[in-house]
Amino acid sequence: MATVPVTCVRLTTSMQMVGKTSSLKLVPMGRIKSGFPCLRTSRFQISCSAKPETVNKVCDIVKTQLALSSDTVVAPDSKFATLGADSLDTVEIVMTLEEEFGISVEEENSQNITTVQEAADLIEKLVEKKNATA
Amino acid sequence: MLPYFSKLGSKMKIRCFDQKMFCTSAFSPLQLPSRMETHLWYVLPNEVKSQSLLSQYVDLLSPHEKDHVFSMRGDELQKSALLARALVRTTISRYQIHSHVSPTSLVFRKNAHGKPEVIWEESDDWHPPPLHFNLSHTSSLIACGVTVGSPIGIDVEEKQRTMKNRILSFAKRYFSREEVEVLSAISDAEVQRHEFIKLWTLKEAYVKALGIGFSGAPFNTFTIRFRAANSRPEDSTIAIVPLEKPTNLTTNWQFAQVELAGTHYAAICRQNDGFPGGESMKVIVRKTIPLVEENRIDSVDDLS
Repeated sequence: MATVPVTCVRLTTSMQMVGKTSSLKLVPMGRIKSGFPCLRTSRFQISCSAKPETVNKVCDIVKTQLALSSDTVVAPDSKFATLGADSLDTVEIVMTLEEEFGISVEEENSQNITTVQEAADLIEKLVEKKNATA
Repeated sequence: MLPYFSKLGSKMKIRCFDQKMFCTSAFSPLQLPSRMETHLWYVLPNEVKSQSLLSQYVDLLSPHEKDHVFSMRGDELQKSALLARALVRTTISRYQIHSHVSPTSLVFRKNAHGKPEVIWEESDDWHPPPLHFNLSHTSSLIACGVTVGSPIGIDVEEKQRTMKNRILSFAKRYFSREEVEVLSAISDAEVQRHEFIKLWTLKEAYVKALGIGFSGAPFNTFTIRFRAANSRPEDSTIAIVPLEKPTNLTTNWQFAQVELAGTHYAAICRQNDGFPGGESMKVIVRKTIPLVEENRIDSVDDLS
């Protein structure tokens, strides 16, 4: 079996989303850890933007973690860093999200969570994966 | 001043820097750290109130840095981001390495993993010294560590910082089993919180020194182990114990822990190649208001 470290996916066919407002997103497949050979087929995933309730919950968790005043606007594209999160805050946010949603975030993914939207999208992807294998 | 030591679970000497010894002119030439030294500079945002001074700091920044500073939400965060850039620019220029190096002339970039570094203007007759720096900030203190000949990572945290998650739950999720055991053995919750914060700063300083990003060295892939070399607490050392085989984590690093302004824990990590075995890191601490003043802060070492 060949181990293929796949770090990006190329879109080879075009898809048309009819009647939905959703964004087509290329999702990195992630690195394969050394010592765990496996065969991977390359495939792409379509991720739609996360549900508003997910986004809202993430906003609440971020606001609590960073002790933001209630009139601070936390938008989906708000970057944690610009809201004042340091590395410990970000890690705490990830942990709170894991507990809230019953998911587990790999270290390489937690570095990619820099905005509310990214967090919400990753949460929904992981929840979907968890439900699919349940 | 009596020396202050932490004789808590870590048995690691923490040097307390809160005694002003002397003030130097902000502009007299300053020697780069020797290969045995680490310089640690810090600024307290509360001490910088002048709007005209803050404007001077803005003028030091690159357009990209200005964008970043003004993207921060709210005055306090903007000020903190501004001071961080002003600190690093003025600090590196402070060594007056070359006439063409000034706070505004410095060019920075991030390495492949996001670690900031200086791009030097080299020429046939000038090669820059192997100067390394690393920044860390909290809302109430911003610090910059400088070394020559070794990568450096620093992390500062407020001593009073409280966690939103339970400490042991957090440690179980992110730290190694051995570290969780050490923390679990501390019965006093407040002591445990302090030790947790100090441990966090050590791990963060190490990962920042490595410069490969949080995902390059996940916290649960190595243990920070306190080792008593002999019966003297001040001789204890900190060792990095990688937990995976094979590992890309190097272990030739040494640490220092310092307390700044009575309010913050700081950890410094740099390489220890070529040091006589077990010698502790020499740290020179300076408190500064960029462009205005600097005060060297000396600690009182325990010589017992």
